[in-house]
Amino acid sequence: MTHDRTDPAYARRFSPDAVRELEELVARYPQRKAAMLPALWIAQREYGGEITAEAMEEVAHRLGVPPVEVEGVASFYTMYNLKKRGRKHIEVCACLTCAVLDSASVIHALEQRLGIKAGETTADGEYSLSEAECLNWCEAGTVVQVGHRYYGNVTAEDVDRLLDDIAGDPRNDVVTHADTVVRVQLRGGCKGRPRPSAEVEADRG
Amino acid sequence: MAEKLVLFEHRHLPGVETAAVYETVGGYEGLRRALQMTPAGVIEEIKVSGLQGRGGAGFPTWIKWNGMLGNPPGDRYVVCNADEGEPGTFKDRELMLRFPHMIVEGMAIAGHATGSATGYIYIRGEFTEPADAIRRAVDEAYERGYLGEGIRTDGSRFDIHVHLGAGSYECGEETALMSSLMGERGQPRAKPPHAPLPVVAGLWRRPTLINNVETYACAPHILRRGGAWYASMGTERAKGTKIFSVSGHVARPGNYEIELGTPLLELLDMAGGVTGGALKAIIPGGSSVPILPAAKCTDVRLDYDGCRAAGTMLGSGGCMVFNETTDIVKLMWVTARFYAHESCGKCTPCREGTRWMAKIMDRIVQGKGRPEDPDLLVSVCNNIDGRSYCPLGDAAAWPIRASVLQYRDEYEHWVRHKTSPVGEHSVPKVA
Repeated sequence: MTHDRTDPAYARRFSPDAVRELEELVARYPQRKAAMLPALWIAQREYGGEITAEAMEEVAHRLGVPPVEVEGVASFYTMYNLKKRGRKHIEVCACLTCAVLDSASVIHALEQRLGIKAGETTADGEYSLSEAECLNWCEAGTVVQVGHRYYGNVTAEDVDRLLDDIAGDPRNDVVTHADTVVRVQLRGGCKGRPRPSAEVEADRG
Repeated sequence: MAEKLVLFEHRHLPGVETAAVYETVGGYEGLRRALQMTPAGVIEEIKVSGLQGRGGAGFPTWIKWNGMLGNPPGDRYVVCNADEGEPGTFKDRELMLRFPHMIVEGMAIAGHATGSATGYIYIRGEFTEPADAIRRAVDEAYERGYLGEGIRTDGSRFDIHVHLGAGSYECGEETALMSSLMGERGQPRAKPPHAPLPVVAGLWRRPTLINNVETYACAPHILRRGGAWYASMGTERAKGTKIFSVSGHVARPGNYEIELGTPLLELLDMAGGVTGGALKAIIPGGSSVPILPAAKCTDVRLDYDGCRAAGTMLGSGGCMVFNETTDIVKLMWVTARFYAHESCGKCTPCREGTRWMAKIMDRIVQGKGRPEDPDLLVSVCNNIDGRSYCPLGDAAAWPIRASVLQYRDEYEHWVRHKTSPVGEHSVPKVA
């Protein structure tokens, strides 16, 4: 099924740069649809940290797939924010090693400081707090991820310092994380990749 | 016995993550040597080395590589599985951060050996820092001719693309990873005998080689120093070295590279021994493998057969150590919640069963357990085991079932007294 990518009916929040980024990423796969995850990362950045229905529609049109397929993918992965989260999403690992090293006390301390429960967002839209599954840096339990930065060996006593550290730093923003993913993918990659073979090209759509 | 450093030999060398320093310690010699050999010659070297997949399954690497060669001409792909998500495992993270070129070199060797021009490295979306290290290595490798056409003289080329996931444990399973890489939900596909192997029909129905980060990182060493040298380490049936990630109640948590066959308790010594009380149990290979009570740890050797004989598995090498303050029932409650959260939903026994397990565990640790619950858990596990497309279902069932069989007294204490058998200060805490 092919969509008309020039259809004016859909939202156009992707900046000209974002469109160029997307096309550069698309060229790395033999089918446009394969750029779905990168495209959703771009959308998460372009739409301010949230993947709205309009964002999914824009991705669908730009990749030439039905919107429902984009929704199916976006809703499968935990890092795509289908509902608005705080500007800074604090994720505390509560998996095995961190759990026995008392991640619960870190979560409790954060809940008290922020005045919210895990799974909630502060009223000013600044912070969201979640329990995360294994962040795979178990040697440094309890591990906390905020944006694309990892913090290790965090205890309940460190919570004030942690909040101070993330407050003024854009690297801890949800949007920055999305941007970092996109930049890493864009910069690390081949120069002058030959076009995919005609046969695979024929499978498109 | 001490550590045996192959991959980690230059772990503390400043700048080893850069091409310039990596080259001073033999970096890219393996690739240069491979490019002078035929693909069959490279695969023979891997075969002699005895290398087995380091992601968890332990499948002989050369059989996968060799399977790529019989295919008709056309596009084929090399994929590196860097979706490290197995609880307790953090070896790929360190390999990517410290030795990104080793992974790039290993993929380039695999590209030559399998006649592939394109490689994808699939990194979990949380790992932007490791991904950035890989990205820099890929760029440097192009500049120096190790990627692209570069140092190749036969008109072939090999490209690597960095691809990040977006939060899904299931994508570490190879067929689910391929679905994700093609822009779909990360759900698994049918396997032999119902469908061809990825080396016959993988990405876009093309031959696709998928290996773990650590497996690719072994290839440069095997090509540089010879398969026979690699096979001189380890045991008769498990060659070489393996990185174990040790965490939990130990003095020096971290990654340790040891010869396969090293006793489990020696690994524990290397990590500084147990802290905060006597040893209660060890999960030797990531959350998916059965737990070993302390009494059973004494004779276990860390290789595929040794772990199997002890009733567990080597898995990914995520070795989690628990002292006597650990409440096994609560530990398994955390485990059950993990699998219920991460089940991809494709297969009913896993999708429903993992939720039932989590629900039963929830009520046990809230003091609402019923006398029949331990048996009910085993029954749910039995009905998940072997009944899903991918091993996630098995991985959820095995540790829970093993814990009920090994620690039935703790489950019964919880059910009868509604409190922890280890006491009120036991870990983990129930939030």
